[in-house]
Order: sequence, then C-alpha cells, then structure tokens
Amino acid sequence: MVTFDLNTLEKKLTCRFAGRLDTNVCLKINDEIADKMKEIKDPAMDSPDDGFNIIFDLEDVNYIASSYIRICISTAKQVEKGKFSIINSDPFIKKTFKIAGLDELLNVS
Amino acid sequence: MVDLPIEKANYVLEKALLAAAEFQQFNQEETDRIVEAVYKAGFNARVKLAKMAFEETGIGVWEHKVIKNVIATQLVYDSIKNEKTVGIISNDHQTGIIEIAQALGPIFAVTPVTNPTSTVLFKILICLKTRNPIIISSHRSAIKCCTETVRICYEAAIEAGAPEDCIQIISAGSHELTQMVMGHPKVALILATGGTGLVKAAYSSGNPAIGVGPGNVPVFIDESADIPFAISNIISSKTFDNGTICASEQSIIVEEKIEKDVRAEFERQKCYFLNPEETGRISKLAVVSDSLSMNPLIVGQSVESIAKKANLIVPEGTCMLIAKLNGVGKDHPLSVEVLAPIIAFYAAKDYQTAIKTCIDLNYLGGIGHSAGIYANNDQRILEFSQLINAGRIVVNTPTSQGAVGGTFNNLVPSLTLGCGTGGKNITTENITAKHLINIQRVCRRKLNEKWHNIDLNLYLDESLDESTLVKEYNKNQ
Repeated sequence: MVTFDLNTLEKKLTCRFAGRLDTNVCLKINDEIADKMKEIKDPAMDSPDDGFNIIFDLEDVNYIASSYIRICISTAKQVEKGKFSIINSDPFIKKTFKIAGLDELLNVS
Repeated sequence: MVDLPIEKANYVLEKALLAAAEFQQFNQEETDRIVEAVYKAGFNARVKLAKMAFEETGIGVWEHKVIKNVIATQLVYDSIKNEKTVGIISNDHQTGIIEIAQALGPIFAVTPVTNPTSTVLFKILICLKTRNPIIISSHRSAIKCCTETVRICYEAAIEAGAPEDCIQIISAGSHELTQMVMGHPKVALILATGGTGLVKAAYSSGNPAIGVGPGNVPVFIDESADIPFAISNIISSKTFDNGTICASEQSIIVEEKIEKDVRAEFERQKCYFLNPEETGRISKLAVVSDSLSMNPLIVGQSVESIAKKANLIVPEGTCMLIAKLNGVGKDHPLSVEVLAPIIAFYAAKDYQTAIKTCIDLNYLGGIGHSAGIYANNDQRILEFSQLINAGRIVVNTPTSQGAVGGTFNNLVPSLTLGCGTGGKNITTENITAKHLINIQRVCRRKLNEKWHNIDLNLYLDESLDESTLVKEYNKNQ
C-alpha cells in the first residue's frame, strides 16, 4: 500500500501509495509512515533549518478515508512549512481534499 | 483539551468535514448498504430507545414512542431506500438535462424533547442516505436517550463501512456551543425541529436552514361529517404520546347545530368538558400568560397528571380535557398550541363564523403547519383547504398521524414538517432525503428555435408593441 523512496542527498522522502486507502489500510500505513519519519528525524540526518521534503504520491490511489487525511495532517505538522506536498492526485481525490478544506495546507496537486 | 465553546465547535466541525470528504467518494450501493444497516439497528432498538426516552424526559407514553420509532425507521427507510441520491439521478433525453446529486456537507440537526429518539433516528437516516455527516444537538433533558440512539446508529454505520465521525452528538445544555455550531462556517445546513426561538436562531445563523416550528392545528367538523368516527379519530390522535406531536389537534370547531351531538359523542368516548372555572385553572397551569406559550411542565403529561397538578377532579378513565372557548388570542390562553391532551372547543353560530374561527386559530402561532377537516362534502373540504394556510390539510384523518405521513395517506413519512413561508420555512413539504442534496443540472444544447429565428434587433425598436413582437416571435411555428 505504501512504498518509500528516501533520497538522503536531496533530503527528500517520497511515499508512494496505491489502491484504496480505507480506515483499515490507514491503521497499517500509519505505523509505517511513523517509523519512516522517525528515521529521517534522526539527528544524524536531519537538521532544524534544513529538514526533509515529504512528498505523498497518490498516482495509484482511488479512495481515501478520513483517517488518511489525518495521516497527511499529522505528517505535514512534523516538517517545516512548505515542505510537505501531495502530488499526482486524481481529480476525484483533489476534490476530496478541497471539501475537507485542506488542499492548500497540504499543498495538493 | 478543548474547553471553550468555539474550540469544541471547531473540533466537532473538523471531524465532520473529514467525514464529509470521505463520504462524497461513496457510490449509491455503498451508501445504501450503510442506510440499511443503520435502519435495522435503529428498528431493533425501537423499544429500548422508547423506554429510555420516556424514563429520561417523563414525557408521553412509551408504547407510543415505540410507534414513533417504527415510523422513523421502517416507514422512513421504506420511503427512501429506492431513491437515487448519489451521482446521476436522472437523464431526460427530451430536455437534454442530466441531474447529478451532490452531498451538502456537515448537517447540524437540532432535535426536540418531545420526540427525541424518533427525530434522531429519522434525521440520521436521511442524512446518511444523502452522504452528509450529521451533528446532532440533543435537548438537555433527552441527552441520554439521544446519545444511546447515536451510539447504536453509529456502530451499525461504521460496521457497514461508513466514514468515521459521520454521526456526532452534542448536548444543547450548552446554549453557547449550539449557537457556535449553528453559525459555524463549515456547517452546510441546519435541520432545526423545535420551538419558535430555536427555529429563528437557525434562520438567523447565516447558514442555510430548514427549520420547522410550532403548529396550532384547527380541526373543523362539518355537519356532513360522520361524528362518532371523527371524534374517535381526534381522540386517538390527540392522546397519542399524550399529544406531543406538533401536528396534533389543538382546537375543534363546529357549527352550533351539531354542537350537542359532538359534545355527547366526546363525552361518550370518555372526554371531559371543563366548566368555565376549571377552564381558568387549566389555562393558568398550561399556558404561561405573558408569553402565551405552553408550560413545559404539562407537555406530554397524562390527563391524570395534569388534573392532579390543577387540583381537578375528573371522572376515572378520562382521556382528554376539553375547554369550550368563545374567542381566540391572549384572553383565551388555551387557544394556543398545547402539546398535551387538552383541547379547545368552539361552537360557531354558522359555517362562515366557524371557518373564520379556524383562520384565526391558524394564524395564532401555527401558520403553514397543519389543519384537519372532517366532512363528506367535497366542496366544503376544498373551500376550507383554500382558506387555511397549512402545509398539510388532512381529511377525515387524525392530524398527528396524518401530517407525519406514511400511515393514513400517501404523504412522505417525516418527523420534520415544512411550514412554508408562513412558518419562515422554504418549503411546505414533509422533509426527507431529497431536501438534503444539491442537484446539479447538466444542460445539453437544445436550441429554442423561436428565439434563434427572430431578429433580436426588433426588440430595440420602441415603436413595436408586445403583441407585434410576440407574433413575430411565434411566426412560422
């Protein structure tokens, strides 16, 4: 459901999601993302003024539960402003973020 | 911690908004599965919830509350289950118009103490059917039974795959919180059922609202009516749940020439006519004279309990108290809405005067709500109906059950009855799922040939009058 592409050189973590991200799936990926975030927050890799860019790639996603939106919010809160973005969202998914009133905050495209 | 009303309101709305976002991805089949599951769970809890509502509020009759719960689940579900409420709901090739249903977003539903669990069940079903998350504000005296209703429905909804937080509840105990939620910019619609103050607050909140206020239901018994039949229907309606339904009969109006027969029949069917002194005592107890509003202490109480409160001795087994009045308005407190088994009675000198009394009662706090007529004369039925300002004029039918629909007629079953502009409502219809969707119309190109054939410059010529231009417009058609 989620694969990670960690580029330490460019300080970029891309999380690629696929399929239907319903509540049950979110329970699982929530832990995986938390672990990954812990990894990049390691002082050896991270620095306060030059943190990682986190990109959620939704190219293959056709459904998101509200718990997925919560994961996006909590992940975005862990990085500097402007360093979290959601890319390749289907128009249907884009509308979902719009209805939630979070498309700008989460930088959805 | 969220303590301040504004923080609580934000917290509730944030959750509702996420639920709305998820919900709008559901198709009709997924939506219907949730509605069916919630209907079954609510229906199966009908007795438990009715008993809880009665024990907590002390209002009404629990057996009747079971019936209300059945109407709010079985009959409401039956009326909405096959409705299309998601995506393309119609496609008319002739007009070239396709209709698409969109969800509204978070709906704030205010529910009354008189029908707590049934209104909650009803509103949850119509909101879920339209993919709208619902935030329920329960009356402070019915919070336990409403919370339990929500718990049962929410668990069933989640089990059937509904979005998290699609049903939430807050207590109206905090007036400030209710106000905050009502006016919150993230609320899509308010579904307010309750007293005048509440409905007015909903309309003043700045958010769209469907508010349904009080009634003051006049019932005319025409000389052509089957009197024993009419009286038995009226009693079954006015005593149902001790008169808590806002469409219950408030006044009976007859012509003097049938007064004796009507009175005898009421008495035969165990109703008690109050004498003037007793009428005064009951008026004082039942209606707050300054505001001319009913006293909450007698709402939904039995005759026995009301008589006790008024130190009144009535024959054993009395099912309804009747007060003969000779006027309408502040000097006759029982001419206003009283949701208890107390009813006003008028004997008018002739038909015209009787109808004028009905109009006066109708306009005394019940404009646009409901009215009733017993008659076997079509002309009288139609005449009465055109003179009365009511969303529902029920004929030869108990008004409580008749206005709610689904049992005595083909009105849509609903616990929220629109009262039209007279009641400051946008509709006179019985509110149901179809009122909770935005319908988008996709309009294919279908030329108005007449418009495209006429030379539009002709309209610029002031010397050409209406008939010349319309003739030109219709030329060669």
